[in-house]
Amino acid sequence: MTGATNGHLREITRRTALGALGAGIIGATVASWPRLSGTDIPGRGDNSLSIAIMGTAADAAARQRAIDAFTRLHPEIKVKVQAIQAVDWKDFFTKILTMVAAGTPPDVVYVATEGAQLFAEKLAHPLDEYVRRDAADMREFFEDVHPSLVEAFMYKGSLYQLPMDWNAANMYYNTTAFAQAGLDRPADDWTHLDFRNSLAAMRKARPSDFTPYYWTNRLFGGVVPWLYANDTSFLKETRSSGGEWLWDGFYANDPSRSLRSGGYQWLEPNANDDRVFESFDYLRGLVKDGLGVRPEEGGGSSLVGLFASNRIGTTPAGGYWVQGLHEAGMGENDFDVQFFPRWKTQRHQFGTAGYAIMKTAKDKDAAWEWIKFSSSREAMELIFPNPITTPARRSMVNEKLYAGKGPANWKVFYDTLDRFPTTGPIPAPPQQAAVETALMKNVSLAVSGDERQLKQALASMQRDLELALRRQS
Amino acid sequence: MSTTTPPRERPRQAAGQAVPAQHQPTAKSRHSQRWLAWIFLAPTILGMGLFTLIPIVASVVLAFFRWDIISAPTFVGFDNFSEVVQDPTVRVSFLNTIVFVVVAVAFQLGLALALAIMVQEKMPAWLRVFFRSAFFFPLILSAASVSIFMRYLFNEQFGVVNWFLSLAGIPAVPWLTTPGGSAAVVILVYVWQNFGFSFLLFIGGLASIPVETYEAASIDGATGWRKHLHVTLPLLSPTTLVASVMAIISALQVFDQPYVLTRGGPGDSTRTAVMVIFESAFQRLEFGQASAIGVLLTLIIMAITAAQFRLSKRFVFYQ
Repeated sequence: MTGATNGHLREITRRTALGALGAGIIGATVASWPRLSGTDIPGRGDNSLSIAIMGTAADAAARQRAIDAFTRLHPEIKVKVQAIQAVDWKDFFTKILTMVAAGTPPDVVYVATEGAQLFAEKLAHPLDEYVRRDAADMREFFEDVHPSLVEAFMYKGSLYQLPMDWNAANMYYNTTAFAQAGLDRPADDWTHLDFRNSLAAMRKARPSDFTPYYWTNRLFGGVVPWLYANDTSFLKETRSSGGEWLWDGFYANDPSRSLRSGGYQWLEPNANDDRVFESFDYLRGLVKDGLGVRPEEGGGSSLVGLFASNRIGTTPAGGYWVQGLHEAGMGENDFDVQFFPRWKTQRHQFGTAGYAIMKTAKDKDAAWEWIKFSSSREAMELIFPNPITTPARRSMVNEKLYAGKGPANWKVFYDTLDRFPTTGPIPAPPQQAAVETALMKNVSLAVSGDERQLKQALASMQRDLELALRRQS
Repeated sequence: MSTTTPPRERPRQAAGQAVPAQHQPTAKSRHSQRWLAWIFLAPTILGMGLFTLIPIVASVVLAFFRWDIISAPTFVGFDNFSEVVQDPTVRVSFLNTIVFVVVAVAFQLGLALALAIMVQEKMPAWLRVFFRSAFFFPLILSAASVSIFMRYLFNEQFGVVNWFLSLAGIPAVPWLTTPGGSAAVVILVYVWQNFGFSFLLFIGGLASIPVETYEAASIDGATGWRKHLHVTLPLLSPTTLVASVMAIISALQVFDQPYVLTRGGPGDSTRTAVMVIFESAFQRLEFGQASAIGVLLTLIIMAITAAQFRLSKRFVFYQ
């Protein structure tokens, strides 16, 4: 039916309405096709080098100055940084894997120790050929970077990443809380017993609304630093052969050359080791006596605020904390840092991060140019203008970086590697996610009950780790 | 203007009256109507097919393969199912899920019903509107955000909950670091966020019960809770069935609250079936095993729902 107009609106028939609807749908689909197909995402489909980092859009923007500098050097390479928000590194890797599954993997990914072997085993392309080729350019970088950091990125004799930044689990302490308890700055070689006495003194001085030792249940800074100090770990640590090309080429005269290998290996669980029990028992004692918290799984998001409000006496953390404490209002003398306490050894735990080239990268040469540029002092100064982390270059860890922010003993950060050259990375095999889950889920139970519960929790951890390492092996 | 009467202006056919022959749809119009129906159904069918049916089929198929996203999938038969059944973590997580469903759903429905009766009976009309909105509000919040917030509230050392308890002289409770405490918090947070939906269903159900029924019960001498026991509950049984089916299906899939609040710990005390699916797939890269767990969970949900409907014939009273 068609209505006569006669100056009135035409009646709209069902057919007309359907036609208009159909035309509308087709029009909307055509108009939004770039969005639907994802081709409007900047950098996609235009051969840009896609770089994924963990962080927010603000973190990506913070790299813009470095990108601009890189573009001046390599105008032929377009760079797009994708910031991926995540709770922790495990969450970040999950998202990268989702991108891989979706067929849209980035070309370069900023990977921390937690995922270094996962990427080396399955996703990343080794850097050996590029490092060898550009050895003359790279010499200055390796001279400025401690070999322990580089070794953390060796896997089965090949190098997969260049360390950009790192952090050791040192011990932060609140100077006000120490002063209230009548404590001086601890000695460099203080022991785990000295540490416990310090906590007891702080507890005595402040019986309530205060935690002498706050620690989190994570792979970094949780129970692992205590295990390392007690010369053990929850995984058996071995080294693979190889890597001589790198060590002889760049670290031949380094005093720790003989310690270096083709990379760390964690192939077997070790939760049933006596020293593991001893370490957990020590922490259980701290919890039982009200000196340390019972750690929540993955906790730590509120830690800076709590520390800055003088409600925490000590906590393990790295150089990444300085800027946060400064922004939270802590003065440069309100806190300080010391080496982690000695037990059987004073071996520290560290984590580091750097760029990895994905096997699927379209232009690996361009990806290497980005990595090489990022490792330069110029780029690193642009990327790390503040103490949001510890730069991998020794020369950048200087008075200027910590001026007005503290801590007074900032030298502790890099000295950790020099003073304790056996200091090692976070134990993170390719099955890191499953291993971390196996550790984390048993820690709270291990330190929360009696000795029987501790033994049960460690037995459970051993079983879970066996299962985790057996899978995907 | 056309000479034929437009369909909307046709006089209504009286019941039982024979349809005049000239109004019988022709084969051509039937054909075009069929096409029209398909055109209208197409977006839904397409959406269901793409986002529901294909993923379901794909995950059932994937349950028979070993696949880590990166390498090509390999057929492993029923290996994934046998590994999953033997995995103590999976077994515990299923057990936790069942315990969670029983406690959380009972708590959720009980709370929702009690509050619905109170609001419907005791509140003036304007306050009813307020409470309906207030109780429903948590449901529209992101479960992850709520859980992050709750994590602060229930922190052992610095949480507000323990601070209030300390005012009453109660020592700090390790809410999130002991098996009992963490399970209680997960249930509490889940129920707080979800009971609003059951509450609204019960409000609707209560409104549909005729006032005369209550009056008759009063004449028969029923007062207070007896009235609710013998009138409200039986007449609300169809609503209770719907509310319980939806609550159970939702609770069987709980993930956000335990993942954010406790990460399944301490130990495996708050690890749920969906958490294990997530961990298998996206943390351990065992998509085949994750699919196998998903298939098992789906079968359990189907079995429970079928059992509910079967039992409903005995317990549900339709007016």
